[in-house]
Amino acid sequence: MDNRPATNNNRPGNRPPAGPSTSPYQEEIFGKAYDLRLIRRLWRFLIPYKKLFWLAALLLPLLQLFGLAQPYLMKVAIDNYMASKDVWGLQGIAALLLVAIVGEAVTTYLHYYLTMLVAQRSLADMRVAIFSHVQKLPMSYFDRNPVGRLVTRMTTDVDVLQEMFAAGAMTVLSDFIMLVWIVAIMFYLHVKLALVSLALIPPMFFAINFFRHRARRAYRLIRERIARINAYLGEAISGMAVIQLFVREGKSYRDFDELNAAHRDANQLSNIYEASLYSMVEAAGSISIGLLLWYGSGEVLAGVIGIGTLVAFKEYISRFFVPLRDFSQKYTVMQSAMSSAERIFHLLDTPVAIASPTNPIVPKPFRGEVSFEDVWFSYKEDTPVLKGVSFRIEPGERVAVVGATGSGKTTTIKLLSRFYDIQRGSIKVGGVDVREWDLQALRRHIGVVLQDVFLFSGDIRTNLSLGDVDIPTERIEQATKYANVERVIYRLPAGLGAQVRERGSNFSTGQRQLLSLARVLVFQPEILVLDEATSSVDTETELLIQDALEKVMEGRTCLVIAHRLSTIRNADRIIVFHHGEIREVGTHAELMQKRGIYYRLYELQYATEEPKVAAEDTGAKM
Amino acid sequence: MGGMGRLKGYLLRYWRRYLFGSVCLLATVTLVMWIPWWMREAVRIMEHGGSLADVRYYALLIGIAGTAQGFIRTFSRALIFNAGRDIEYDLRNDLFAHLQKLPISFYHSQRTGDLMSRVINDISAVRSLLGPGILNFFNAPVYFVYATVLMLSIDVRLTLVALLPCPLLIYAVRKFRGRIMRASLRVQQQMAELSSHIQENLSGMHVVKAYTQEENQIRDFVRLNQDFQAKSMELAKLRGLVSPVMQGLSGLTVLFVIGYGGFRVIRGDLLIADIVAFIAYLSVLAWPTAAFGWMISLIERGRAAMERLEEIFKVEPAITSPAQPLALADSREGIEFRKVSFGYDAKGNGDAILQEIDVVVPRGRTLAIVGRTGAGKSTLAQLIPRLYDVSSGEIRLGGKDLRSLSLAELRRTLGYVPQDPFLFSTSLNRNLAFGRDSISDEEIEEAVRVTRLDRDVAIFPDGLHTVVGERGITLSGGQKQRATLARALLLDPPFLVLDDCLSSVDTETEDKILRGLKSALKEKTCVIISHRISAVREADEILVLDEGRIIERGTHQELVLKDGLYADLYRQQQLSEELEQI
Repeated sequence: MDNRPATNNNRPGNRPPAGPSTSPYQEEIFGKAYDLRLIRRLWRFLIPYKKLFWLAALLLPLLQLFGLAQPYLMKVAIDNYMASKDVWGLQGIAALLLVAIVGEAVTTYLHYYLTMLVAQRSLADMRVAIFSHVQKLPMSYFDRNPVGRLVTRMTTDVDVLQEMFAAGAMTVLSDFIMLVWIVAIMFYLHVKLALVSLALIPPMFFAINFFRHRARRAYRLIRERIARINAYLGEAISGMAVIQLFVREGKSYRDFDELNAAHRDANQLSNIYEASLYSMVEAAGSISIGLLLWYGSGEVLAGVIGIGTLVAFKEYISRFFVPLRDFSQKYTVMQSAMSSAERIFHLLDTPVAIASPTNPIVPKPFRGEVSFEDVWFSYKEDTPVLKGVSFRIEPGERVAVVGATGSGKTTTIKLLSRFYDIQRGSIKVGGVDVREWDLQALRRHIGVVLQDVFLFSGDIRTNLSLGDVDIPTERIEQATKYANVERVIYRLPAGLGAQVRERGSNFSTGQRQLLSLARVLVFQPEILVLDEATSSVDTETELLIQDALEKVMEGRTCLVIAHRLSTIRNADRIIVFHHGEIREVGTHAELMQKRGIYYRLYELQYATEEPKVAAEDTGAKM
Repeated sequence: MGGMGRLKGYLLRYWRRYLFGSVCLLATVTLVMWIPWWMREAVRIMEHGGSLADVRYYALLIGIAGTAQGFIRTFSRALIFNAGRDIEYDLRNDLFAHLQKLPISFYHSQRTGDLMSRVINDISAVRSLLGPGILNFFNAPVYFVYATVLMLSIDVRLTLVALLPCPLLIYAVRKFRGRIMRASLRVQQQMAELSSHIQENLSGMHVVKAYTQEENQIRDFVRLNQDFQAKSMELAKLRGLVSPVMQGLSGLTVLFVIGYGGFRVIRGDLLIADIVAFIAYLSVLAWPTAAFGWMISLIERGRAAMERLEEIFKVEPAITSPAQPLALADSREGIEFRKVSFGYDAKGNGDAILQEIDVVVPRGRTLAIVGRTGAGKSTLAQLIPRLYDVSSGEIRLGGKDLRSLSLAELRRTLGYVPQDPFLFSTSLNRNLAFGRDSISDEEIEEAVRVTRLDRDVAIFPDGLHTVVGERGITLSGGQKQRATLARALLLDPPFLVLDDCLSSVDTETEDKILRGLKSALKEKTCVIISHRISAVREADEILVLDEGRIIERGTHQELVLKDGLYADLYRQQQLSEELEQI
C-alpha cells in the first residue's frame, strides 16, 4: 500500500534532466563548470570591452610580481643587510618593499575595478539583449511562460554571472601560472629546500583533491536538497488552505522535517570536509615550517643560506596553498554561472516566431478596410478556435461582434493585430495580408482597447502617450478633454503628472476605461478594436464612457466586442459568433426578427440591461 | 521578545557544543601561537651557531604542534559550523510549524515569494551569523590578544611600531561599513525598480505590442539599466577597496618590522630571531584582519534577517482551537447559522460581505446557495470550516459553536471542496489519498468512478500514477475539480460543503456526477453552492444571496413561482443551454 506523503514527490534520483524545467522552483541544473561553447558565447558580450578586459588581464602578472617580490625582499633584507649591518641597504629594501606592498594593493584594486567594469557593462548589455529579445517574442510565448521566470532570467541569472567575475573564477588560469612561478623561485633560491618544500605538496595535492572532490559532491547535494525544500515550501504555502482543511499539518510538518534534516545532514557533512580541508592547509603550512627548519638549519649553520631564505620559503609555501584552497569555491561559482548562462542563452535562442517580412508592403492610400478570408486558427493542435471565419469591414464601418463565452470573439481581435499567426486563410488590413505588413506599422494603424485596461506605473501623461516624447502636450490635453477624462485628471493636484500606481490600482475601473479611450485618441489609429468591459460602473461614469466611446468610434473602422446595448444598437452590422464560426450577420432589428442565436444571446446578455439603461437615458436628458 | 532574544534560546540549546568548540578553538590558537615562538628559539640557536640537534628539536615541536593544531581545528570548525546548521534546521522547522498555524487571511496578505525568501534566505543569513559569524567573532579578539601579549613579551617598542597601522585599520573598517551598506541598499533599490519594470512590461505585453511600444520600453529599460549599472559600479568601487586596503595595512605592519626592527638588529639590540617571530605573528594575524569587515557585515545581515523572521513569528494564529474543546460526540443536529455577519476588515460593518444570515440545515438535509458573482456565496462556505471566523453571530455544527470545537475535529468532520481546485505536484492517487493515512485501491477506484474521472484516468499515460504537475497543471479545469471532489469524498465526512466545485465541468457530466453522488450523500448534511440551477434544484432549501443578504429562500418550485432573481437565473440558464445545443 502506498502511504507515502502525497506532496513529497521530490525524491533523490528524480532530478529533471538538464534544460529549463517547468517549475520555477526547480531550475537548478548541474553542468560543466567550464563549458567552452557557453564561454565562447559569453565572450561575445565582452568583445566591446575587450581592451579593458585585456588591460585587467595584463595587470595580473604585475599583481603577481608585486606579491611574489615581497618574500624575496624580506630574504634580502634579513640575509644581506641585517646580517651585514648595512643601514642604507636596509632602507633601500624597505623602500622596495613599500613599493611592492603598495603596488600589490593598487594593482589588486585596479584589476578588480577593471574586471567589474567589464562585467557590469557587458552584463548590462546582456540584460538589454534579453529584454529586447523578449519584446519580440510572440504572445503565445507569454501564454506559456510565467512572468516570474522571465524576470529571473534578467535579474538573478545575470547576477550569478556577475558573481563569477567578482569571485575571480575567470582567473583560474593565472592562478596556476602563479603556482609555476612560485616553484621556479623556490628552485632558484635553493634546490634542496625547494625539493623539501615541494615534498609536502604532492601528498597535500592528493589530500586537497580528495576533500575537494567530496566537498563538491556534498555541495551539489546541498543545492539539490535546498531546491527540494524550495519546491516543497512553495507548494505548501500555496496549498496551505488544503493542508489545514484536511488536517494534514502533522504529516506535512514531518515531510518538511525530512527534507530539512536531509539538507542539514548534507551541510554538516560538507562542513566536516571544508573544516578538514581548511585545517589541513593550515597544518601543512606549520609542518612545512618544521621541515624547512629541520633541513634548512644544517644549510644555515653551514653558511650556505641565510635565515632570510627560510623566511622567504615559508611565505612562498603559504602563498602556494591559497589558490589550491580557493579552487573548489571558484569551481562551484563557475558551475552555477554556466547553468545560468545556459538558461539565458536558451531564452535568447527562442525564435521570434512572428516577425515583419523583409520587404513589407505598405498599402497606399490606406483606407482602413479589414477582411477575414476563411480563417482557421487554434492555440493548441486539434482544438480549432476559429473554423473558416470570413467577413469584411468597409472603411469607417462600425461592426459589433457578439457570441457566448468561448465562441472566438476575443481571438478574432487578437488575430487582427497579428498577435498570433493563423493556420489557414488570410487576414487583410487595408487590402494587404497582415503577414505582408511591417508589424510595427500594422499595429500603429490599429488602436486596441481591451477589457482589462492595463496602466503602467508612472504618470498619466506617459500612460496616454506611452512614453512617446514626440507627442505634443496639446494633443494629449485635447484627447483627455474629448474622452471626458479631463475631470478625472484635473481633480488631481499634479494633473497630467499625477502618479499611476502599479496596474493603475489608484484609479477606478471606469476611470481606467476612460483613460484607455483617451489613449486611442492620442494615437489616432484608423482602425479601432474594442473589447468592451463587462464590469459595471456607476451611472455617471457609464454615461461618460458611452459619450467618449461614441466620439472615439466616430470616423474609424470599428470592430467591437459588444457588451453594451447602446453599442449593438448603434452598430452598422452585427456579426454573431458561435462555436468558432460566424452564424448570423445583420443589423439588430434584422437579427431580432430572425429569432436565431442572436435573439437568444440578446435575451441572455442584453435584455436585462434594457430597462436600466433606458431609465438612465431619460435621467440624463432631464 | 525581539529576534535576538529568540535566537538566544536556540543558542542556549546548543551551548555545550559552542563551549566545546570554543575550547578547541582556544587550544588551536594556543598551538598556533607557540609556533612563531619556537621559530624564534630555533633561529636564535642558528644565529649563535648552536647545535643542529637543538634546532631540530624545535623543528620537531613545530611539526607536532602543526599536526595537532590541524586536528583540533577541524573539530572546532566542524562543531561550531554544525551547531549553526542545527539551529538553522530547528529554526526552519519551527517557522514552518508556525506558518501552518496561520489563517488563510494571512496568506492572502503575503506574497508567496516573500514568505519563501524568509524561510530560505533569511534563515540562511541567520545561520551565517551563528556559524562563521560566531567563530570569527571569538577568533579575532583571541588571536589579537594572544599575539599582542607574546609580541610585547619579546619587545615592547617593536610591537608598538608593528601595530601602528591598527588604528587606521579600525578607522577603515568603520568607514567602509557604513558606506558599503548604504551603497548596497541603493543597488537593491535600483534592482527592485528594474525588476518591477520588467514585471510590468511582461504583464502588459499585449498593450506594449498593440501600441508598438517596444522601442520605448527598451529605451526606458536601458535608462534604468544604466542607473543600475552605475550604482552597482559605485558599490564595486567600495567593495574592491576593502581587501587591498586590509592587505596593504597588514603588509605595512611587516614593512615596519623589517624597517624599524632591522635598524635595531643592526644597532645590535634585537635579534633576527625576533624579526622572524614578529613576521610570523603578523602573518598569523593577516587573515583575522582581512576577515574583520566581512565578519561585521555577516553579523549585521544576520541580525536584520532575524528581525524579519521575528515579524512572522510575532503574527498570532488568529484561528485556533479553544483550550478546552467540546466533543462533537454523535449529535443529531446539522449546521446552523445564527445572525452571521462577516467583513474582511475585523469588525468593520462598512464593508460587510455577509449580513445577518440565519439558516438551519437539519442533519442529512441539503442546503443550496445561488446568487450572482460577488454575492458572498463562497465566503459563506469558507466560514464553515473556519477558514475565516464570523465577525458577529455564530455558526453551530452538531449543536455546538464552531469556535468551541477542536479545529482538527471540526475539519475532519467536514469535507469542504473549494471552487478553485488545488492539487499537489505529485501523482493523482497520492493527491486523492491526501487526507488519509491509509487507503485501499478499491476506495480510490470507487471515488474515481463516482466523480466520473475513470474515463479520464484510462487515457492518462500512467493511469492513477500520473503525476499531475504543479498545481495540477497537466489536468483540465474540470478534471482538477473532480479530483478535489474525489479527495474530499474519500474522507467520508458527515458534513459536506461544495463551493461551486464543478463549475468547469460541463452540465451533462455534472448531472451524472450529482446523480451518482445521490446515494453517497443521502445521509450527509450538505451545503451546495452552484451557479447552475440544475445542480441545486433538488435541494431541500435554496437560498438566494445578493450583496451579502438572503433575498429569497425556498424550494425550487417556490422560487420559480416567486419570479425574482432565482427565476431570472433559471431562465437565463435555460437560454444558454438552448444556445449550446444550436
